[in-house]
Amino acid sequence: MSLKPFSRARAVHLMLVYTGGCNGCDIEIVNCVLSPKFDIEQYKVFLTWNPREADVLVVTGPVTKLNEKPLKEIYESIPNPKAVIAAGSCALMGGVYKNIHGDIPSEEIMGPVENIIPVDAKVPGCAVRPEDILSGVVATLPKLLEAD
Amino acid sequence: MTEENKPVKQEVIETEVAMGTVHPAALEPYRVRLFVEDEIVMDAEITIGVNHRGIERIMEGLPVEKANALTEKVCGICSNAHIWNSVLTAEKGLGIEVPERSNYIRIIMGELERLHSHFLFLGHGNEVLGHETFSMRVFYLRETVMELLRMIGGNRVQYGASIIGGVRPRCEIDEMRTQKILEGMDTLEKGILDFADRFVLDPMVKSRTEGIGVITQKQAKELEVTGPTLRATGIAQDLRVTMKEYEDFDFDIITMDDGDVRSNLLMRALEIPESIKIIRQAVKNLPKGPILDRSWEMFDCDSIKSYIEVPRGTLYHSYAIEEGRVRGSIIRTPSMSNIGAMQTACIGDHVTDAQLCIVQCDPCFTCTDRAIKVIKI
Repeated sequence: MSLKPFSRARAVHLMLVYTGGCNGCDIEIVNCVLSPKFDIEQYKVFLTWNPREADVLVVTGPVTKLNEKPLKEIYESIPNPKAVIAAGSCALMGGVYKNIHGDIPSEEIMGPVENIIPVDAKVPGCAVRPEDILSGVVATLPKLLEAD
Repeated sequence: MTEENKPVKQEVIETEVAMGTVHPAALEPYRVRLFVEDEIVMDAEITIGVNHRGIERIMEGLPVEKANALTEKVCGICSNAHIWNSVLTAEKGLGIEVPERSNYIRIIMGELERLHSHFLFLGHGNEVLGHETFSMRVFYLRETVMELLRMIGGNRVQYGASIIGGVRPRCEIDEMRTQKILEGMDTLEKGILDFADRFVLDPMVKSRTEGIGVITQKQAKELEVTGPTLRATGIAQDLRVTMKEYEDFDFDIITMDDGDVRSNLLMRALEIPESIKIIRQAVKNLPKGPILDRSWEMFDCDSIKSYIEVPRGTLYHSYAIEEGRVRGSIIRTPSMSNIGAMQTACIGDHVTDAQLCIVQCDPCFTCTDRAIKVIKI
């Protein structure tokens, strides 16, 4: 293993973006970092709020209309290599907000996240379980480590 | 106050510090503008709206049961409170008497949720304060509550416990669950009393929180603040006293005098033992019998409204039923009226404490985001 992947694997920075979900997933993700029970930091994964420092972008929520542009900007300002995790049913397919009224298009919900930025890993659940977030982060690691 | 005699805002403002909508310090998307003079906040303005999902409009025309399930998705912190109040609204209109046992289970769920919400507030508050050790300790205690909620409701956040006529059969509390709840309550009581002791005695926390973000009783009344934020200013107002669901229970209303960050944090810490008391009573006196009564009929009724006390204050739901479908739904969450308190609390404090002043009112903007404009009184 060369030096780059060696050091990258020891400092994975998560950035969390809320795009209009119900707060449930967001708290579970913050919980998975802060709570001593899950403690994602023991695997050298840290939470950051600075896009220029981040490696992995975790997106929750169905992406409301006003959140579309900021989400794109945040994605563009993350340096390469980067990975995106869509967490929760809202981020995966728009959730109840987009789908409860059948095929009628929604004016407010621009999601799912895939429509706006490319997604590397999908974590299902309403709300996501902290353990699943961990495995989602692990699933994106090869992309980060194998890049130049 | 009429339009004419409103004080004219200062024309030239020295500095404006704008935060948001996605910002490191804020856990939820909202925008706050702080007008600063010599690092003292002179005026603050909070704007929400990026989270608007139009839940009330989606609810329009849905079958009542489906709409009830949707209200749970209004908020990820007090999700049980929303479905409970929405079901209560329908039950009020249709004249349904729920079995006594299901009412007790609803109260157990409601109080467990209050516990996890207050623990989250304490954790978040201490993190913003800069005391990460306290924050982590509180998050560790909170796990006990989350496990209990997962055991009863089947999920960590969205439980869907209440349905019209009772609670879902999977939320039945049997012997084994009773035992686990009681064990959990013992752990929590010990943990929170230890935390409260350390919190009160810590001189660093005291210097950082005392006299910061003060809301006076007069301001609180003017701004129609609800919930623990109101009780922290010394007004003993709790809707649980008047709710008929809670009439068999014995608990105290905690009040604090100062209305600053310290009394807000301590207030929630002291409300936790009261919730534990209610849960212990509910588990001890759990009546025997069925938990679900499906022998009700749907008919049309005019607009029905229902208020309950949720962790953050008073929650209001109202809708009419027409051919089994929801019409004219209105949801008003407690953070809506607490936004005024957040703005007022910032004024006169150092700009570095502004975030703390906002957090002390326990904001939940994701569930509040349904209004178009906040009118400042």
